[in-house]
Amino acid sequence: MKHQSSARSFSFPLLLIASISLLAGCDQGFKIPETESAFVLPEAAVVEGFQLSHPTLGEFNLDSIKGKWSLFFFGYTRCPDVCPTELFMMSEMMKQIEKNPALEIQAPQVVFISLDPQRDTPEALQQYAGFYHPSFIGVTGVQSAVDQLSKSMGVYYERVYHLNGKILDPASQKDVPEGLEDSYLVNHSASIFLINPRGELQAIHRPPHQPDVIIRDITSIQNAWR
Amino acid sequence: MKSCIYRAMGAILLTLSAFSVAAEGLMVTNPWVRSAPPNAPALGVFMMLKNHSDTDLSVVDVRTTLEVNRVEMHRTMMTDDVMMMMPQELIPVEAHSSTELKPGSWHIMLIEPKQVPKMGETVHLTLVLSNGFEQMVAAVVRQGEKMKMMEDHSHKMKMD
Repeated sequence: MKHQSSARSFSFPLLLIASISLLAGCDQGFKIPETESAFVLPEAAVVEGFQLSHPTLGEFNLDSIKGKWSLFFFGYTRCPDVCPTELFMMSEMMKQIEKNPALEIQAPQVVFISLDPQRDTPEALQQYAGFYHPSFIGVTGVQSAVDQLSKSMGVYYERVYHLNGKILDPASQKDVPEGLEDSYLVNHSASIFLINPRGELQAIHRPPHQPDVIIRDITSIQNAWR
Repeated sequence: MKSCIYRAMGAILLTLSAFSVAAEGLMVTNPWVRSAPPNAPALGVFMMLKNHSDTDLSVVDVRTTLEVNRVEMHRTMMTDDVMMMMPQELIPVEAHSSTELKPGSWHIMLIEPKQVPKMGETVHLTLVLSNGFEQMVAAVVRQGEKMKMMEDHSHKMKMD
């Protein structure tokens, strides 16, 4: 029976970085743009080295995202509600960008990262993500690599077992009945993370999400970043 | 000409049945299944449940003719930015009230379908109610974007 401890770190490190930067006035040439919903980090946060994998691209790491804007969303394919909603929202965002060449936005690379590599193979994940838009990338890796990336970005998630209508005490998850080991749900952050072309975390789009708002916010951030 | 009218009436009735089904005080409108990748391990089903009776009702079980591992009732709840999924033993619909099954809220999950239905296909479900009655529902597979439009349409057909 395998159990994965939660990567509970939330966004506190990021908020701390943001607060310190604001206090110190360390702007370093990036004037924080006004946004409608995105939380923009005054100083982009370094995403610690990560090693994920994609079925055809091979290794997916920091070098894979450098040189372009990316949107990271964390979830899993057994996700009953939130992931399909968010992936659909981002597919609508992509369609709006494609239909409106006059938009100033540089289309971001959408990356769907599985927090559940125990059940999501890279192949299944890419098929799942690609259903929503052919440009979407689905990646995952060994659990320790997924944990490293999620912690580095302040992404919270936890595995939860429900038995007889009740949540099993995390401390007693070892008591999960045989045969139900794979029945867990994953509660996770529904935020979408904007990564700049240097591979740094630049902004966090907290839910709820609207495609047109995200497009306008990303455009504002990109314009300020240039 | 007459047969033409009958055919047209039949078609209208068939269409109405897809959006609005009532049994023993509970009316189901706008049932739909969210289109999903062909390898999706879970499918979401949504609808509006309206209780026109003087008695509180609830959906206590759901069956489907689609071949699946199991059917569950869920509720999505959000704390801070974290979405939590809570399996439910029932979906309540209070007297003279309604409960909407929609993304980000109450919903029915079809877990591990043997074959994921395609856009436009119909999934048949049976809602088992707390008053002992069973209600059949035909839910069409479609994308989330059509939800608003279909809701508006079903409201126009409201019979209460």
